[in-house]
Amino acid sequence: MSVNAWIVVGDQPAIGNLITVARSLGGPVGAVVAGSRSVAETVAASGVDKVVWCGGPDDAPAEALAPAVADTVAADPPRVVLGGRNPGDRVLLGAAAARLKAAVLTGARTVSLDGDDVIVVNAVFGDIADETVTVSGPVALLLDGGPVPPAAGTTVPIEEAAATPLAMRVIETRTSGFDEVDLNEAHRVIGIGRGFKAKEDLAMVDALAETINAEVACSRPVAEGLNWMGKDRYIGSSGAHIAPQLYFAIGISGQLQHMVGVQGAEIIVAINSDPNAAVFSQTDYGLVGDLYQLVPAITAALE
Amino acid sequence: MRIVVAYKWTRDPQEATVRADGTVDWSRAKPGLSAYDPVAMELARQLAVAAGAELIGVTAGGKGVALPIASKAALSRGLDRVVIVEDESLADAGRSELAAVLAEVIRHIGDVDLIITGDSSVDVAAKMVPTVLAGELGWPAVAEVAAVSGTGVEAGAVRVERAVPGGVQVLEISGPAVLAASADAAAPRVPGMKELLAAAKKPVELLELAALKVPPSSAVMTVTGRSRPERKARKGQLIDTTDPAAAAAELVTALRKAGTL
Repeated sequence: MSVNAWIVVGDQPAIGNLITVARSLGGPVGAVVAGSRSVAETVAASGVDKVVWCGGPDDAPAEALAPAVADTVAADPPRVVLGGRNPGDRVLLGAAAARLKAAVLTGARTVSLDGDDVIVVNAVFGDIADETVTVSGPVALLLDGGPVPPAAGTTVPIEEAAATPLAMRVIETRTSGFDEVDLNEAHRVIGIGRGFKAKEDLAMVDALAETINAEVACSRPVAEGLNWMGKDRYIGSSGAHIAPQLYFAIGISGQLQHMVGVQGAEIIVAINSDPNAAVFSQTDYGLVGDLYQLVPAITAALE
Repeated sequence: MRIVVAYKWTRDPQEATVRADGTVDWSRAKPGLSAYDPVAMELARQLAVAAGAELIGVTAGGKGVALPIASKAALSRGLDRVVIVEDESLADAGRSELAAVLAEVIRHIGDVDLIITGDSSVDVAAKMVPTVLAGELGWPAVAEVAAVSGTGVEAGAVRVERAVPGGVQVLEISGPAVLAASADAAAPRVPGMKELLAAAKKPVELLELAALKVPPSSAVMTVTGRSRPERKARKGQLIDTTDPAAAAAELVTALRKAGTL
């Protein structure tokens, strides 16, 4: 059985979307796992046709197995190799792409096969434009991994590949104290930006979020730089892409790199003190004014 | 010891517009150092100072990347020298082609111990060039690196911190590696007049693409169509906020009517 599409998998078996895309291309789908044995077991039950596990020592990060993953993929060269967007999976996909000398595309909206060609509609330049790209030869696709796939009823045996890990090891793991969150599951999301002066001021946002049952998210500088929230809460071109029913952009200027992450929202509300903020040209309801007055007022109006 | 920073001289899509036929108009976008590259340069500079290492900037791209304004922008941020491949054929190069070119530049420089890159480029934001580059070289790669230190480890090794879901992981890596810095890995400094003047005197090495003998890609990519993505139409309704309570009531009524509350 020759594999048509390989999926590379690191520490997390969140590859539901990758399986859907790989399946849509027809032909056998293989998965090569560099994470733990339990990740390989989840993947083996997910409906793929073949699973290869490149197990390393317990203290080896998934990235240490990147050459082994590339070897496995290259030994049965596919038309398409797919990987999720988390940092470890990107390293595995990069190793496979380098070995295959494959084209790398990261904004695929649709993927299809046309004879010997792979046709990808690919969002480019922060999703401002779409290009239809025709590729002859192998293609590496970086995509949203999607949820952990449910068990498919049949489980394929796990093949083990001999793997010599790269010289890297995990020597310590610390918890950050931030809760983990999946913003994609929230129907309402409140995004906050640099318009807030202090972390303590987020209490008023938490109050609003509780009133409307929303998750709190942020623009990139709030998670990276100010460090007020975990990195899984920032929205934007390199962060989360969400499509909730309702999105509040509060104290967010509306830079392209943030707004591409919320384009799928049903309704967008913006609150900003600057009437010229870019966010107002991309919203359904705009409130120009002091968020410190408006946010509590909205919470009060809801109660 | 040699540390390389791979950087990009490019334009911000924030300043671009997309025509109805899907082509991108960059005419109002001014080129500059890609947004997160100053972070990578500062992180690399701190490491180079601590290790007494030579710090080399590397870039490859289309016309313009070797302009004095571009090389000076990089050199003013603490680099000792830059090595540049300017070739118009690289203007629209894919991620793997660019990574393959950079790999040859790294081999040309020789004895490189560490490659630092930014989190992502401001224009393409693929986050894949560093990982394909590591694949080309057969080196370890770590993305979203928050901190790097060479202290407390054996010679030729580095200690790297990176965010993982719910926490931070510390890795020890021996031998050469590619590290993509997170956007907050270091606080970039704005170069002063002294740095800008010194930058004008630092060595700039230009390499011919043809001379690098980059192995060809197995894939041929052709753009066969362009379009401007459909954007959801937004109401664009401004609510008068003279009286915050009245504005809040109006908003809540509108959201209830829309069925989102």
